[in-house]
Amino acid sequence: MHESIQGKRLAEFHYLVERAKIRELAEAIGDTDPVYRDQEAAQAEGYPDVITPPTFGTAINLWGGLGFSEICNRLGANPVRVLHAEQDYEYFEPVCAGETLQCTMTVAGFQVKEGRAGIMHLAVLETMAFNQKGRKVLVGRSTILEKLAEG
Amino acid sequence: MAKAIYFEDLKVGDPMPSLVKEPVTLVQLVRYAGASGDFNPLHYDPAVGQKAGFGGVIAQGMLIMGFAGQAISAWIPSRYLRKFKVRFLGLTRLNEVITIAGKVVEKREVDRCIVCQVVAKDEKGELKLKGTFEAQLPHP
Repeated sequence: MHESIQGKRLAEFHYLVERAKIRELAEAIGDTDPVYRDQEAAQAEGYPDVITPPTFGTAINLWGGLGFSEICNRLGANPVRVLHAEQDYEYFEPVCAGETLQCTMTVAGFQVKEGRAGIMHLAVLETMAFNQKGRKVLVGRSTILEKLAEG
Repeated sequence: MAKAIYFEDLKVGDPMPSLVKEPVTLVQLVRYAGASGDFNPLHYDPAVGQKAGFGGVIAQGMLIMGFAGQAISAWIPSRYLRKFKVRFLGLTRLNEVITIAGKVVEKREVDRCIVCQVVAKDEKGELKLKGTFEAQLPHP
């Protein structure tokens, strides 16, 4: 990775939030809460449809936007040296099945760090998601770390 | 689904109900790869995990964050969740039993937010992730 990636827009995409994808992610986690699979249960809680779990942003990014290897490609990072260091979400409104989100992913930060393990490059990938009404619903920030060969 | 919970119900130091997960299985990692779209073979191909020096497959960090999300949303309805962030600190391998725990570390009267710490550990007490979340809670 190189500091010239700072501020770069990596992807712009629409993502349709589907019930089956919500259920699939919740079941992979092992979360059996009916608000993720049963529309009536979600409506009983006051939501229009099944809701997305707190870490659903990862499916929005990787299925709706770019896959992991394409992200590395655009960042100029070697995928086998890349680790997910931190993840951060901000929630503005619940995201439910049936919504179409407008998303953009940008490189919101870039840093070089020198530690015991040698030189590391850190990039913050920020995805902002807006609903059909143009309201911001979710911001996700993934900090990825690339360990360089030397050190 | 989480029961109704109010800002007044909680005080600094109160624990989040902990969640003990079933042992992590290869099938779970494969399902999570498909569900999340993270097809890095480190998470499902033992040969790749061996070659990378991990001695086998390692779980997706986001799966463990998903466990933490499960514990949080079982306690606090999702509509109140405002922020959730973690640092990934340790690798999770097959058959490990992950426990999620947390506690209230701050109460902010001004916006009725509670700030909580959350951690994921295996059965040996090794830390997998550490983070915080904020929830804006209603008055009764």
